[in-house]
Amino acid sequence: MSRVTRRLFWLIPLVLVPVPLLLNPYQQYVVNTALLYVPVGIGFNLVVGNLGLLAFSNVAYFGLGAYTSGVLMAHLGLPWWLTVIPAGMVGGVAGSIASIPALRGVRLFYLAIMTLAFGELMRWTYIRWEVLTGGSMGMAVPTASLFGWSLDTDRRRFYAFLAIVVLIVATTDRLLRSRFGRAFLAIKDNEIAAAAMGIPTDRYIVLAFAWGGAVVGLGGAMFAISVGHLSPISFDLTELIRQFAIIMVGGLGSLTGGIIGAVIITAAPQVFTSFPGFDELVFGLLIVLVILFLPRGLASLLARAHPAFVDRYYRD
Amino acid sequence: MMLSLLPQLLVSGISSGMLYALIALSMTVVYRATTVVNFGHGDMVAAGAYAVFVFGLGFGFPFLVAMALAIAVLFLAGFATQRFLMQPIVAGPHLSLAMMALAVGYTIRGALRLEWGTETLNPSRPYPQDIYMFGNVVITTDDVVICGFVLLLLAALFLLLQMTPLGKVIQATFQSQRGAALVGINVPMFHALMWGGGAALGAIGGVMLSMITPLTPDLGQWTLVQGFAAMTLGGFGSLGGAVAGGILLGITEKLLGFYANTVFIEITGYLVPILVLLLRPQGLFGRRAIVRV
Repeated sequence: MSRVTRRLFWLIPLVLVPVPLLLNPYQQYVVNTALLYVPVGIGFNLVVGNLGLLAFSNVAYFGLGAYTSGVLMAHLGLPWWLTVIPAGMVGGVAGSIASIPALRGVRLFYLAIMTLAFGELMRWTYIRWEVLTGGSMGMAVPTASLFGWSLDTDRRRFYAFLAIVVLIVATTDRLLRSRFGRAFLAIKDNEIAAAAMGIPTDRYIVLAFAWGGAVVGLGGAMFAISVGHLSPISFDLTELIRQFAIIMVGGLGSLTGGIIGAVIITAAPQVFTSFPGFDELVFGLLIVLVILFLPRGLASLLARAHPAFVDRYYRD
Repeated sequence: MMLSLLPQLLVSGISSGMLYALIALSMTVVYRATTVVNFGHGDMVAAGAYAVFVFGLGFGFPFLVAMALAIAVLFLAGFATQRFLMQPIVAGPHLSLAMMALAVGYTIRGALRLEWGTETLNPSRPYPQDIYMFGNVVITTDDVVICGFVLLLLAALFLLLQMTPLGKVIQATFQSQRGAALVGINVPMFHALMWGGGAALGAIGGVMLSMITPLTPDLGQWTLVQGFAAMTLGGFGSLGGAVAGGILLGITEKLLGFYANTVFIEITGYLVPILVLLLRPQGLFGRRAIVRV
C-alpha cells in the first residue's frame, strides 16, 4: 500500500471535526465514551494481541489513570490538562510493574491469574483508600479545564479527546511499524528464537507493557472527566469483559481492530444499560461468536475489503 | 489470650479451606485433563448454587433431589461447553481458549444477573443449625457437614482414580494425551467428560458455598480467585496439591485476618497467587515445569 493511501487516514479525524454539530448531548456523550475507549483498546491490544501475552490487568491501568487524574484535580486543585500526563505515567508504571511476572518467566494462564489478581487488588485499593478515593461511594471529579478553557460540555470535551486520541493512534502506529513492532511480532511467534536472534526480549516486553499501560492510563484520565464521578464499580470484572470484547470483536493484534472494537462495544450497549447483567451476557456471547466464526475480528473483514487496512505487523 | 484462640481459628480455617479445596480440585480436574484453565469456572460454581435454589425453592423438590438435578445440569453444561465451544478451537492459540472459557463464564454471570439482578438470596440449610463445644472451640453443624461431605467426595474420587478401570483411563490420559489416543482412548470425548465432571464438582462446591454465604451473581468472581489461589498455592495441576492448597489458604486467611489485620480476609486470595508465582512458581507441591525448545 502506498504512502499516499496511508496519509488518507488523516482525513478521518478531519471528517470527525464537524460531527458534534449534528449530535444531541446524549449522542455526544456516547461518542465521547467511544473515543476514550479507543486508547483503552489500543493499549490492551498491544500486550494481548501484538505481544501475545495473557495480561488481564488492563482495567487496573484504566482505573489508576482515572483516579490519578481525579485525585489530582479534587485534592490538589490542578487543572485537568496538567493531570493527563501524570495519569499516563501512573498507568505506564503500573504496566511495568505488571510486566515483572512476565520477566520472571511467568506465562500463559499463570500470567493471566497474576494479572487478574493484581487488577482486583487495585480495585480493593480504591475501595479501601477512602481518604483519596471516597471509598465505595466514589468521588466527584471537578469540572475539567484545558489551558483555562473550561471543558464543561461534552462537545468541548470531544475536541480535547479527539486530539489526544489522534496523537495516541499516530504514535502507536509508528511504534508498531518500527523495529519495536517487529520485535513484538518475533516475541509473539517464538520468544526463545527471538532471544536467540539477539532481540532483548525482556526490554521489549517491559516497553510494550509500559506503553500499553500509559495509553490506557490516558484513556482513564479522559474517562474521569467524561463521567464526572469515579467509583470502584467502574473498574470491576464487568469492565474487564467489556475491554476484552473491544479487542476480540475489533480484532486481536490490530490497531484498526482496537479502534473499531472501542466504537462498536461502547456505542451499542448504551441501549440496554437499564437491564443489569445484559451487557455481560451480550459481551460474553459476542466473544464466543467471534472466536468461533471470525477469529481475527471485524478488522479482518476490513482488511479483506481493502489492502489499506491490512496490518503488516501482525501474523497468526 | 491471643494464642488460646488458635484452635478455633484453625477449625474455621479448615472448614472454609475444605470448600476452597473442593473448588480448586474441580478446576484442577479440567486443567489436568485438557491443559486449559477454565476462567469461567467460578460462574459455573455460582450457576450450580443457583440451580439448586431454583430446583429446591422454585420447583419444590427436596434438597437432595434438587442437588442431584443441579449436578446433572452443570455436568451437561460443562460437557456441552467443551464439546461445542472449546473443541472446535482446541488447536488454536491459548489466548482463544482462555477467552472462550472467560466469555462462557461471563455469559452465565450475565444471565444470572439478568434474572436475579442485585438481589441477595439466602438459601436455607437442609439441616438444623447447631453448635458443639469442645473446650473453648466452637464447631458448627456447617463445619461438620462441609468437612464431612468434602472428605467423602475426596475418598470417592480417590477410589475412582485408583481402583476402577475408568480411573486408569483418566490417569493414562492425564499422563499423555497422544499415548492415550494411540491405545484407543477417545481423547476429545474424555475432555468433554472431564469438563462435565469438573463443572459437576464445582456445582457441589457452589451448593456448599451457598449454605454459608449469601448468593449473588458475583459469587463466581470471588470463587474463581479463591480457586486460583488454592491451585497456585498447592502447585498447578496437582490434585493433592489443590486440596492441600485449599486447606492451607483457608487457614492462612483466618490466621492473617486475626493476628495481622482483618483486611487480609479480603485480600489473601489476591496476594497468594501473586506471591507464590513470583517466589515459588511451582507452588508448594508442584514440579517445576521445564520448557523445551
